[in-house]
Formats: sequence, structure tokens, C-alpha cells
Amino acid sequence: MKKRAWLPRAVAGGVTLMLGLSLAACGGSSSSNGSGTFHVLVYGDASNKVEKQIVDTFNKTSKVKAVMDTIPGADYQQKLQTIINTKQAPDVFFNWGGGSIQPFVKAGLLMPLDSMIAKDPGLKSNFLPSVFNGAVVDGKSYGIPMRGTQPVLLFNNQKVLKDAGISSPPATWNDLLNDVKILKAKGKTPIALGGGDKWTTQMWFEYLYDRVAGPGLFEKALSGDKSAWDSAASREALSDLKQLIDAGAFGSNYDSVKYTDGGSVALVATGKAGFELMGSWYYSQQQQDHPDFAKSGLGYSAFPSVPGGKGDQNDIVGNTNNYYSVLKKTKYPDAVASFLKLMYSDEFVKAQLAIGNLPTTTNTPQFLSTSADPAYEQYQYDLVKKAPSFQLSWDQSYPPAAQTGIYTAVQEFADGKLDADGFIKAMQALPTS
Amino acid sequence: MTTTSPTVARRRPSGRGSKAAPGRSKAGAAVTRPGFAWAVPATLFFVLFAVLPLVLVAVLSFTDWNGLGSPTFSGLDNWRALIHDHTMIQSLWLSVLITVLGVVVQTPLSILLGVWAAGKQRNRAILSAVYFIPLLLSATAVSVLWRALLDPNFGVPAQAKWLFGNGNLLGEQKGAIGVLVFVGAWQYTPFHTLIYQGATRAIPPVLYQAASLDGAGMVRQFFHITLPQLRNTMITSMILMVVGGLTTFDTVLILTQGGPGTDTTISAYYMYQQAFKSFDFGGGSAIALVLVVIATIISLVVVRVSGYDRMRSTSEGV
Repeated sequence: MKKRAWLPRAVAGGVTLMLGLSLAACGGSSSSNGSGTFHVLVYGDASNKVEKQIVDTFNKTSKVKAVMDTIPGADYQQKLQTIINTKQAPDVFFNWGGGSIQPFVKAGLLMPLDSMIAKDPGLKSNFLPSVFNGAVVDGKSYGIPMRGTQPVLLFNNQKVLKDAGISSPPATWNDLLNDVKILKAKGKTPIALGGGDKWTTQMWFEYLYDRVAGPGLFEKALSGDKSAWDSAASREALSDLKQLIDAGAFGSNYDSVKYTDGGSVALVATGKAGFELMGSWYYSQQQQDHPDFAKSGLGYSAFPSVPGGKGDQNDIVGNTNNYYSVLKKTKYPDAVASFLKLMYSDEFVKAQLAIGNLPTTTNTPQFLSTSADPAYEQYQYDLVKKAPSFQLSWDQSYPPAAQTGIYTAVQEFADGKLDADGFIKAMQALPTS
Repeated sequence: MTTTSPTVARRRPSGRGSKAAPGRSKAGAAVTRPGFAWAVPATLFFVLFAVLPLVLVAVLSFTDWNGLGSPTFSGLDNWRALIHDHTMIQSLWLSVLITVLGVVVQTPLSILLGVWAAGKQRNRAILSAVYFIPLLLSATAVSVLWRALLDPNFGVPAQAKWLFGNGNLLGEQKGAIGVLVFVGAWQYTPFHTLIYQGATRAIPPVLYQAASLDGAGMVRQFFHITLPQLRNTMITSMILMVVGGLTTFDTVLILTQGGPGTDTTISAYYMYQQAFKSFDFGGGSAIALVLVVIATIISLVVVRVSGYDRMRSTSEGV
């Protein structure tokens, strides 16, 4: 006897839909959120204290007041999608740029920020270009960076590498394959992978495709040219990855391991594994789960270069940043514009650094020394700054409808259930708009 | 105060009596057959929260809608896609498989435990109480717990390599289904044990006394008295298991997310995935309708085959 029966659930779903429908019917008429206020909707988590502080700063001088609302937890995108075309929709909202706002742009809900930028060029010029471009859809800007950047790095356990006689993190793909061989011979899992989460496996695809084929291939595929997946470069990236998997780089039980429940994190921290590819938030995760290891044993490096590949070895992938986007129907575009200007203020940068986020404004370097770990933040900042391309994660670049398809394809390829042809077919089947 | 209260007390029963006495037969008939008005709240509730959404879901299944803007009519597109959807067909089989495995695993376990726990000794009462604990935990908490316990590097499999090999339980279809069935059984066997315990206690002791006079041992008594007497209970319990199996959702959501690949994407999870992960509310609604139809058929068949609709007490005539 399960507590949740399908009927109540279907019913609940139906009611949600019904509510959504009726609300959608009322929506669009006006966004009267009270007089003289606009609403800012943010993903609810530990970073909210900075957003709150900025809202307070704004309200001190502005006649039109900002009101901050949060949606806690991982269901942000679902809930946002439910309310965004209703009366309850916010004026300004948090997002991941790229595919996460694409459906809203297509539905004509968002305001292009180009005229705002024309009035105040600082809204664009004060941010690192590779990051700012993360929220450009169809040539128009729809978002202003509002948190920290999160590039994906290759983390390592320094002691494990040293004990195995590996003097430095791998600089090239062959170095990595070699390190895998050495670590495996030592009885370690060469690379920890929380395959159960699926997006973790996806990171390997993102980097290999970038290094082998350059960022153009994915851009092309994303724009709707599905032949990109069937190119020679695509097949080469897949065969490189296959080679790594077949070499036993991830061990044999990676699909039962998760990053999100701390499984893969512990593998590296306890010295059972040598490397893990993860976003820059990995550092604070280790600090929280294994403080001693984070302090003394955690190393990091950029993803190795792939000789003969078209991609620049300085390219990075990950979450470029989070963005504030503006709804077209907001009553106070001018107030919103001056609110967005705070996203490159000194106060904003200092507050973000204090809680461990790395802002992507051009004035960030002057404050790096005030951060919790200046060396780590400086390393990341330089990495992002010199990157010719910063590829937003595939699952965020594609519209949300494609997410499940991407996850299934990467997992089944890593499992050997799909071969290159199967993977290519699965990626070609994804909806691109 | 002292003078008024007795009169009040006296007046009440007399008042009631005087009203009821004259036309008892008429009033009685009215009470046993309450008017339609009594059903209004429940009916309204049912229509508002069950029938209406069901109709809306049916309508949505013929539309294309991502939650933004208005649904656009797309005819039979969703249904055509569903018929050719390999994952959908697979998900139905997986739902059936998990249900059947659940029944096969839980029924013998809970009958044995229930019959055993029906004894009157105090240690059994204590142990029964302990067995009952998993049922008190939320399915989500149970799934999170087992997810951690089954971690291949730091959980039980790492300590019992002879049994689990490399511990890749959730990375393979067989292992993942096994885990889902096991966790379901771990949580719900206590419930069915409780049902069987109660039913076993209700079996008249005379039957056992007569049997032992005739020289029947424990095993014989179990197969010839206990099991036949538990027949109706088994049907009840199995229906609950079938319903539970077909609606498995939380364990899949937490333990496997339908993976590896789509190997444990059962229908209920697939519906959720389409509607709330991929924002294809039309496709999700079509799956929901399929589930409604299948569940209705199954419940009709079960009721007919089991004789649940004309079930009689087995204690009759004892």
C-alpha cells in the first residue's frame, strides 16, 4: 500500500494544470504587484543573503521599491515555468541563461535589454564577455550576470597522485590516460564519477567535444543543424571518451555512485580515487564534507588538452553564471535598469566574494584578496578571463524539454548500452527549440 | 442552579422520546436512507478534485502545451507518438514486473511473519512492534536511507563483496529492479504482516483443537487450516500490493530516477518526467490517461476474478 496513488497524483497534476490554465487566462492583462514595487524572484539558497543585501541597498535610494521573493529547492525551473505567464509572474527573475530562458524568449515574455544597455553601456562592458554572452538569445541580450561563475575543473587528491609517482596534473589527454593506467595498477579508482546523477557524466562529453571539435560543433547542433552530431569530429570525441571508459578510468560501479549524496566526493577525499571532474563548487563541498582534506590535500587543474583537436586548450565548460532577466510587461523598466546596475557595483562584488562566489565583473580582481581563498578564486578568474569560449552545460543550453534525453544518452553511452551511432541518433532526436 | 439543572436533564430525554415515539417506523426509514443532500459535499469534492481534473487531463492529451501561453490543439499527435514510444511500452512492462515481483516477494514473507506474530507470547508482541517501524517512515526517507546504505564504496556492498561483487547495484537493470523490489518489500511487508496477524488471530481456535485431536501436526495445520482461512485476507492484501506496485513512484524518484538509462522508468515516473521535467504536458497527460484506463481494467478484473464483490465471511456456520 503506497501512500501516493496514481489517481490523486493525476488529480493533483490536473488541478495544477487547471490552475495554470485559469491563471494564464488572467495573465498578460497587467502586472499590478501593488503600486510602486517590482518583484525579484530568486532561487532560494545560501546566496540569498547577498541578493537581499543588494535589494536593501537599492530600496534605500529608489522611489520604486524592489521586493525579493525566493523559490527554495531544486524545483525552481518547474515553478518558474508555471507562474511566468500569469499575474503572479515576477518583474525580474533568476535563471541560468541559454536554454533555460529560450522558451520564454520564444513565447515573447522577456524584454531584450539592448535598449537598456544603449543607455548605460556599463551594463555590458563591466562583465566578462564570455559570461555576458551566456544570456544572449538570437543575437539579443536577455540577462545580466548576478551571481558567481562556476567553471568545471579537474580536481585531484594530491597525496594519491604523489604516492603513485604522478608529479603534476595531466596536461594532455595522453597524460591523463597514462595516469589512469598508473592509478589503476595501484588499486585505486583512477577517476571518481557520480554517474547516478547523469549530469556528472555529461561534463566529460562537454569537455571532449570542445577539445576535439571546438565549441562550434555544439553551437551548430544547438542551432538546429543535426548533422553536426554525425561529423567525424563528433565520432572522434566519442571514441576518445570510450577509450577512457574502457581503460577502467571510472571503475566499474560508477552508475551506482552519486555526487549529490556525497559518494564520489568521499571517494576522492578518502584517497580511494585520484581525480574528479566537477564544477568549482566542488571546493566548498569538500570544505563542508571533509574540511581537513579541502585544506591540505585538494588539488585542481584545467581539463587537459587533446593533441590534434580543434578546440582551444583554454576553453572551459560549466555554469557561466546566473542571470537576472526582465519580463516585457514590467511597469518599471527604468527602476529595473538602475537595479541591474548594482550587479557590477563594488558592494556586490565584495558581498559575493565573502560567501565564496566568484563574480564575473571586470572590477572583481581588485577585491579577490578579500575572498576566503584568494589563490583559488584568482585561478578561476584567470581561467574564465582568458577562455576564448565558455560553454554553458549542455543540459542548460538546450531547452528544458531536452534534458531527460541528454541524460539518458550520456548515461547509456558510458554504460556501453549505446554505441557511437546510438548516441548520435539520440542527440539528433533532441528538441532544439 | 441546583433547581434548574435536573429539570433540563429531565426534559431532554422526554423531548426526544416524545418525538420519536409516535411515528417510529416512518422516522426510522428516513434515517436509514439519507437524502441526496448528504452526499453533496463528498460529491462536490470528488467532482472538483477527481472528475474535473480527469476531464482536463483528457483534453490536454490532445494538445501541445509547455506550460507557457495557451495549449494548442494538436489532434492525435501525442497519442500517435505514444504508440510508437519504445520507453512507454517498456515502462508498462516494468510497472507490471515490479508489481508482480512485489507480490511474489511480499506475500509469502508477510504470511509467515503474520502467522508467527499471531502467537500470544510477549516477545512476539515486542518484535511485531519493531517490525512495524519501517511502515511509519516516509517512503522518501526510506529511499534516501537505502540509497546511502547501498553506496558501492562506503555502504553495505563494500563490506560484502562476496555477495554484491563490485556493488554496481543501481548501475544495472537487474540490480536496480532488485533494489526497488527489496526496498518496497522492506517498507510494506510489515503492513501486510499486520493484516495477516489480525486475520490469523480471528481463526476460531476450535479448528486447531479439532485438528490436533485428529493428529495433524503444525505444518499440516498451517496448510489445511490457516492458509484456507486466510484466503480472503490474501485477496485483500494482494489487491493492496497490486495498487502499491502500479503506483510506485517515490522509490524510483529517489533511488534510480528511472535509470540506468531508462531501465527503471516505470509508467508513473515516465508521466512525471514528461510533464514536469520535459514540460510536455500534452504527452504527460496522454500517459496519465493510459494509466487511468489500465488501472481501471486491472481493478475490475481483480474484483471479478477474486470474488471480492460477493465476498462472504469464512466464519459463517462455525
